[in-house]
Amino acid sequence: MLLAGLLLLPLAMARGEAPGWRWQLPAWLPPPLVPADNPMSAAKVELGRRLFYDGRLSADGTVACSTCHAQRLAFTDGRAHPIGVTGEAHPRSAMMLANVGYQPVLTWANPLVTRLEHQALLPLFGEAPVEMGLAGQQAEMLARLAADADYPALFAAAFPAGGIDLAGITRALAAFQRALISADAPYDRYRQGGQANAISPAAKRGEALFFSERLECFHCHGGPHFTDSVAHQRKPLAEYGFHNTGLYNLGRNGGYPPGGEGLVEHTGEPRDMGHFRAPSLRNVAVTAPYMHDGSIATLPEVIAHYAAGGRRIRRGPLAGDGARNPWKSPFLPGFRLSQREVTDLVAFLESLTDQGFLTNPAYADPWPAGHPARVRRREVLAATPAPAARQRGRAVASP
Amino acid sequence: MTQFRTWLGSLLLAGCLAGPALAADPQPVTIRFAGMVGDQPFACGQSYAGLGARASRATPSDFRFYVSGLELIDTAGRAVPVTLAQDGVWQHADVALLDFENRSGPCLTGTVETNDSIRGTVPAGSYRGLRFTLGVPAALNHADATVAASPLNLGSLFWSWQGGYKFLRIDLASAGRPQTVRAGESPRFGDMAGSHRLGFAVHIGSTMCAPGTPPSGDCRNPNRAAVELAGFDPARDVVVADMRALLEGVNLEVNQPNTPAGCMSSPNDGDCDPLMQNLGLAFGGRASSGQRFFRAR
Repeated sequence: MLLAGLLLLPLAMARGEAPGWRWQLPAWLPPPLVPADNPMSAAKVELGRRLFYDGRLSADGTVACSTCHAQRLAFTDGRAHPIGVTGEAHPRSAMMLANVGYQPVLTWANPLVTRLEHQALLPLFGEAPVEMGLAGQQAEMLARLAADADYPALFAAAFPAGGIDLAGITRALAAFQRALISADAPYDRYRQGGQANAISPAAKRGEALFFSERLECFHCHGGPHFTDSVAHQRKPLAEYGFHNTGLYNLGRNGGYPPGGEGLVEHTGEPRDMGHFRAPSLRNVAVTAPYMHDGSIATLPEVIAHYAAGGRRIRRGPLAGDGARNPWKSPFLPGFRLSQREVTDLVAFLESLTDQGFLTNPAYADPWPAGHPARVRRREVLAATPAPAARQRGRAVASP
Repeated sequence: MTQFRTWLGSLLLAGCLAGPALAADPQPVTIRFAGMVGDQPFACGQSYAGLGARASRATPSDFRFYVSGLELIDTAGRAVPVTLAQDGVWQHADVALLDFENRSGPCLTGTVETNDSIRGTVPAGSYRGLRFTLGVPAALNHADATVAASPLNLGSLFWSWQGGYKFLRIDLASAGRPQTVRAGESPRFGDMAGSHRLGFAVHIGSTMCAPGTPPSGDCRNPNRAAVELAGFDPARDVVVADMRALLEGVNLEVNQPNTPAGCMSSPNDGDCDPLMQNLGLAFGGRASSGQRFFRAR
């Protein structure tokens, strides 16, 4: 037994797992990749959860990670544009965080951000836009955490060799997010769990449509998490893609609105205009509004957008025929769907909602009411319509 | 360590070739800098008239930059690297941070401590010229900032979106671009103006950098300005970083619509023109006629 333990320990470490850490995963889903310098541990994940929900990580205490990433909305905020501490609206919609540890590239279109530890710095310190507003406020933020009753012990447990510092904060936040696993949606139980009746006949018909060459959805939204960007411990060679989905065509030369051009901002290559990462569709029924800029409100409208092969905006500063965007993905030729087929496709997408994930207490706010971590914290707007009520509408042409 | 070994190697080689006389101790050298606005010293909270294309009155609230790759040029015209003292605060590897703000008044992003010199050693000799790079070298620019050594661990100089650092940070408030950023303002849907309350920002760093693990450091716009001050005598001269000269021709009263406040190094932001040229960097397809930010005094 001892020998086996000694042999297994280095293997676990190489996989980024500290002794005592166990992934909560079904057999069909391999664990995500874990950087060698940030092995998973229960203490680190718990510290990360506290930090994720702590408004004291922002300049004025009003914005925690959870302000724009609420569990009941699969860690989105129901807004097209999240709002930072100065009131500035973010040009991008908040991303869904289920299974984010499987994403080899983070954010909507920044190929430089490949680690959650790095990504955390963007909302914390970014100035264009200002999100949590910590530029120049790092020492004050660290002092707030050091003065907390619980953090010194939590940091010591998570990082025995470190103190309360930025490296620990970003590593704990990353570990918590890697632990956000959604793999028990009705569709998972149907497809992987052998439960033939876990989804409705309509959802089964919608599944067939989704994976058809007629609709082409699966080319960019395939794989275990319904995105073509994925890496994990059995697939360490990361694949990822950025796509132009014909949302805009400014100036008839393929332009996207300034500040929302996507990948081209980082490559300078004209062909990368309007290219954004295909997000995971897990829990997509609760992550409205859709697209990188939240410019489509409901799933039937998203389907109508893809059916049209792009969006035509007739007037105003964004006028243009997105279907004719020269940089548009070849997988968007457009298609025709009956009203029943739209309903079926929506039923399939709704079968990706993992209620256990949305209510898992391990991912919930750990702070009691009135605690300094949440006393000033802004919450996601409460008035979010129930997904079912919003998405049964007709598939109409987008604006 | 590598530097130390190289230095040791040079020392041993010199000793073998020319005898112990030339293997003298390296001589200490201090390169002094002055943060100026024209002929006035920079100070937090002070406003300065006649800046930029519209002769604006403006109040700067930050004035910091990284310098790397320092070389002195000896009287025979040979460039000799300055080995920086590893002080654990302002200098790391061959990078130093010059910092003229003291976190008083409107200077909210910086540190109380200031630094106006770079300290190191050069081989004994006589020097009449200085070269350096405004910027963080590629090998350090794209590393994990959360575990970086001082002075590469200052959050207000991180540029995580570009995967690097702000090499030069100046923020200004002018009449047309007032600096009114404050926390807790009420959100307004679609408000893109929040960061514009920074006023007029001058944030220079590498952009359009190639991804990779580890990052390749290959950037389409490195934006590292090479500076040479001929005749510079470290014993007598001071490097003047002149904000007025940097802003010559720059309109501080307006911001190009739909671009970040001031110039954040975006290639499509006209507010970077002629600022980039004044740094000696090509911009908008035009080469620079030479940097004018730095001069010897």
